[in-house]
Amino acid sequence: MKFDCIIIGGGISGLTAGIRCAKEGLHTAIISSGMSALHFSSGSIDVLGYLDNTVVYKPFEALDTLTGTIAQHPYTKCGKPLIIEALQFFKQECETQNVYLFDNENLNHFHVTALGTLKPTYFSQRSVFNEDVYNRFKRMKKIVIINFEGYRDFHPQLAAAQLSKHALFANCEIVAKSIEMPQIQNLSRHPHEFRSIDIARIFEDEEYVYKIADAIRLAADGADFVVIPAFMGIHNFNQIHNIIQSRTRLLVYEVPTLPPSILGLRIDNALKSRFAQLGGVFVAGDKVVRAEIKDDVVQAVYTANHPENPLEAKFYILSTGSFFSGGMVSEFDNMYEPVFKLKLHFEPQRNKWYSPQFFYSHSHPFLEYGVVTDENLRPYDSKNNIIQNLYCSGAILAHYNPIREGCGSGVAISTAYKAANQIVSLYKLMR
Amino acid sequence: MIKLENISFDHCIKCTVCTIYCPVARVTHLYPGPKQSGPDTERLRIKNPELLDISLKYCSNCKRCEIACPSDVKIADIIQTAKWRYSKKEFRIRDFLLSRTDLMGTFGTLFAPVVNFFTHLGIVKYFLDLVFKIPKGRTFPNYASMTFKKWFKETRKYQNKYLEKVVYFHGCYVNYNYPQLGKDVVKVLNALGKGVIITKEKCCGVPLIANGYIKKAQEHGRHNIKVLSKALPDEKTKIVSASSSCSLALKHEYANLLELDNSPIAHNIAYITQYVLEEFENGNIPKLKPLTYTVAYHSPCHLERMGNVAFTIELLRKIPGLTVKILHSECCGISGTYGFKNEYYAISQAVGNELFKIIEEANPDFVVTDCETCKWQIEMNTKYRVVHPISLLAEAIE
Ligand SMILES: Cc1cc2nc3c(=O)[nH]c(=O)nc-3n(C[C@H](O)[C@H](O)[C@H](O)COP(=O)(O)OP(=O)(O)OC[C@H]3O[C@@H](n4cnc5c(N)ncnc54)[C@H](O)[C@@H]3O)c2cc1C
Ligand code: SF4
Ligand code: SF4
Repeated sequence: MKFDCIIIGGGISGLTAGIRCAKEGLHTAIISSGMSALHFSSGSIDVLGYLDNTVVYKPFEALDTLTGTIAQHPYTKCGKPLIIEALQFFKQECETQNVYLFDNENLNHFHVTALGTLKPTYFSQRSVFNEDVYNRFKRMKKIVIINFEGYRDFHPQLAAAQLSKHALFANCEIVAKSIEMPQIQNLSRHPHEFRSIDIARIFEDEEYVYKIADAIRLAADGADFVVIPAFMGIHNFNQIHNIIQSRTRLLVYEVPTLPPSILGLRIDNALKSRFAQLGGVFVAGDKVVRAEIKDDVVQAVYTANHPENPLEAKFYILSTGSFFSGGMVSEFDNMYEPVFKLKLHFEPQRNKWYSPQFFYSHSHPFLEYGVVTDENLRPYDSKNNIIQNLYCSGAILAHYNPIREGCGSGVAISTAYKAANQIVSLYKLMR
Repeated sequence: MIKLENISFDHCIKCTVCTIYCPVARVTHLYPGPKQSGPDTERLRIKNPELLDISLKYCSNCKRCEIACPSDVKIADIIQTAKWRYSKKEFRIRDFLLSRTDLMGTFGTLFAPVVNFFTHLGIVKYFLDLVFKIPKGRTFPNYASMTFKKWFKETRKYQNKYLEKVVYFHGCYVNYNYPQLGKDVVKVLNALGKGVIITKEKCCGVPLIANGYIKKAQEHGRHNIKVLSKALPDEKTKIVSASSSCSLALKHEYANLLELDNSPIAHNIAYITQYVLEEFENGNIPKLKPLTYTVAYHSPCHLERMGNVAFTIELLRKIPGLTVKILHSECCGISGTYGFKNEYYAISQAVGNELFKIIEEANPDFVVTDCETCKWQIEMNTKYRVVHPISLLAEAIE
C-alpha cells in the first residue's frame, strides 16, 4: 500500500501527528501493535510539572529556564511558540469529539491521584478540573471521597488520609465513604470482580445513573465536594457528569484509577475517531517489524502480519513509545530500537540504568534513554547518518525525563506537531 | 507439559485493556472477560483441569482482545484451546449440524427451494428452537440451487487461456449459499488477466473449531494444505479467499490453534482485497466505471485481526464515484455459529446493537463488508442490503 505519510505507533503522539497530517490532506496511515500508554495514564496532559524538584506553577515561564539549560531536550528543539501552538491544536481537536480540556489560563493546576497525592498538570478533562472547582476551592469545608463497595482498585481511606496531610487542605475535613452498587439485573458476579470499565458501563446506563446520583447525594452528607473514581462513562461522560452534578447539587470530581484508565480511554477514543473522520487509515493490532532503507531514505516498512508486502510512503514518523510499549528493547547488557536500529542514547553499564530506590526523587536514568535526533527530530542510523524522511516523536525520544519533569504528554504532543509540520511543508513543496 | 511457545499467558501484565475491548464482556456480566478467562485462569487450568471455569464458553472468538493487548498475549487462542482441551464434551446434534457446513450445504443445495421455504416458516423455526435450541428469531441464509463448483465447471476451460493463475479458496458459503460472490471473484481476477484455479477443498474448519470438533478441523486443515499446495503452479502464485474467516483459518488458526504445519501455503495466502489492491498499485487496473453510491463499510473482526482492513478500504477508495463512510469498528455479534445458538442469541444481538445503531445513523445506500456471517447479521437486523467489496468492484468493471 502507498501513502503520503506512515506513522508507526498509535499513542497520543502518533495520533496527534496523524491528525495534523490528515487534516492537511496527506494520505496518512497509523500502524499500531497494541493499545498505548493512554490506557494507563491519568488522562491529564502534563506539560511541565517540576523543575529542579520543585513544583512548577507557570509552565511557560519554567519552559524558558528548561530550554535555556538543556540543549538536547525535545522542548528545546520545538521552541516555546510551537509548543503553545501544538497544545492549542490538541485541545481543539479533542473538542471536535466533545472532550473538553480545561487549562486554567496557562497555569498548572493539581489533580488528585488514586493515592491521594497531588500532581501538577496542564490540561484536565472538565470532570477533573474546571473553573467551579477553582473558585470554590478556597471556601471548601468538607470533602467526601466515595468508592463503590467491593471495587478493589481504589481505596478512599488511603486517599483521604494522604490528602489530609497536604497544607492546601489544612482547613478542610476529608471523609472516606463507600456506597453500594445499585441492584443490577443478572448480576451474577460479585462487585469485587469489577474493574473500572465495568462500572463505567453501568454509569452509561440511564436506568442506573439516577440511582447512583441519589446514593452519592446521601453519602455526601453535607459536603461541598465529592470525589469519585473516574467512572462517569466512556462515551456520554459530559452528559453523565451534568446529570450527577445537577441531581446531587454537588461538585463531583473524578480521580484516575488503576488501569484501565477511563480518563485516558476517552482521549484515545476522541483522537482515533477524529483521525478516522479526517480520512486517516488506522491499522490496529499489527506491528512494524522491519524497514527497507536506501541511501538514507526509508523506502518501505513491513509488518508482522504482512512480512512480504511493503507499506510505502514519502514520509515516516516513529512514535512507538518507550520500553513499556516496545519502542525500545532492553537486553541484559544492551538496548536497541527494533524497527530501524536507530542510534540511541544510553549508558552501556546496566547498573547505571536505574536508581536503587524505586521512588527516587530524581527518578530513574533509563527514562531519559531513547533515540537521538537532530534539531528537526530526524534520527541517525547505526552509521551515524541522518535518515532523511524519518522523524521521531513522543516517548521514544532521548534527553528528557517524563517523570522527573512531569512532561510526558506535553513532549509527545509538541514533538508530534513539530514532526508533522515539517512533513506538511515538505509535502506542499513537492506538489 | 507446557510447550515453551505456548506461554504467551505469562506475558500478561494484568492491565485489563483486553476486557475493555471485549464485546461480550461489554454486554453481559455472565462473562468475566478475556483477562480472567484467558491468561489469569490458564495458570489454574494447567495445574488442574478441574479448575476450569465454564464461563469461558461465552467467548465468541472474535479476537478483538488480541488486537488490543499491548503485550501480544494470544488471549483468544488460549481460551479456544482451553474450551476443547479442558471442558467435557457433550454431543449436541445442533452443534454437529451447524459445524458440518459441507454436509448441510450438499443437502441444502440439493433441495434448495424446499429447504429455503421451510427454514423461513414460523412453525419450523419454533421447532428448531424447541428441539435444537436454535433461536427462532434467527433467519437462515438461503441455499443456492446450483453450487459454485458446478458453475465453475463451465468456466474452467476459459481459465486456461490466462498465462498467470490464482488459486481461489471459495469456502462453503460461496459454494452452497452465495455462488454469485464466487462468480464476482472470477470476474475480477479475469479482468486482472489472471486465470482461476479451484481445488477439491473442504470447509476451512472455522465452524468445527468453534464447536469443539478439533480432530475433524485438523483433518480438514491437513486436507486443504495438501490440495492447495499441490494446485500451486509455482512458488509465487497466490491463494486468494474472499472470506475473512477462511483466510484467518488458513493463515493463522491452522498453525496457532490446530498446530498444523501450514508453511507450504502460508506465504501464498492473500485475502482478496489485498491481492487486488497490490495489482492495482502495480498498474494493473481494469477499466472502472463510476458507481455513485454512498456505502457504509463495516470491518469484520477476523479481517481486523489479520491486519487487512486497510487493504479493503483502500481498494474501495479506488472505485470512482463511490462515497465510503467508514463505520467505527464494532463486532456485529454473530461470530459464525455463535449467534445461531439459543444460549448466546441474546448476547449476540446485544453485541450487534451498537453496530446496527451506527449503520442507521450513517444512512447509506447499502452496507459493504467482507464477511458472510456479518452480512446475515446486518441484513437480519437493519433495513440495509449488504454487499461484498469484490461484488462492488465487479459491478464497476465494464
Ligand atoms: C503508566 C504510565 C502513566 C502515564 N501517565 C501520564 C499522565 O498522567 N500524564 C502525562 O502527561 N503523561 C503520562 N505518561 C507519559 C505519557 O503518557 C507518555 O509519555 C505518552 O503517552 C507517550 O506517548 P507515545 O505516543 O509517545 O507512546 P505510547 O503511548 O507508548 O504509544 C506507542 C504505541 O506504539 C505501539 N508500537 C510500539 N512498537 C510498535 C511497532 N513496532 N509497530 C507498531 N506499533 C508499535 C505501541 O503498541 C503503542 O500503542 C504516562 C506514561 C505511562 C507509561
Ligand atoms: S490486555 Fe494483554 S496484558 Fe493486558 S490484561 Fe489483557 S492479556 Fe494481559
Ligand atoms: S475473542 Fe472476543 S469474545 Fe472472546 S474474549 Fe476476546 S474479545 Fe471477548
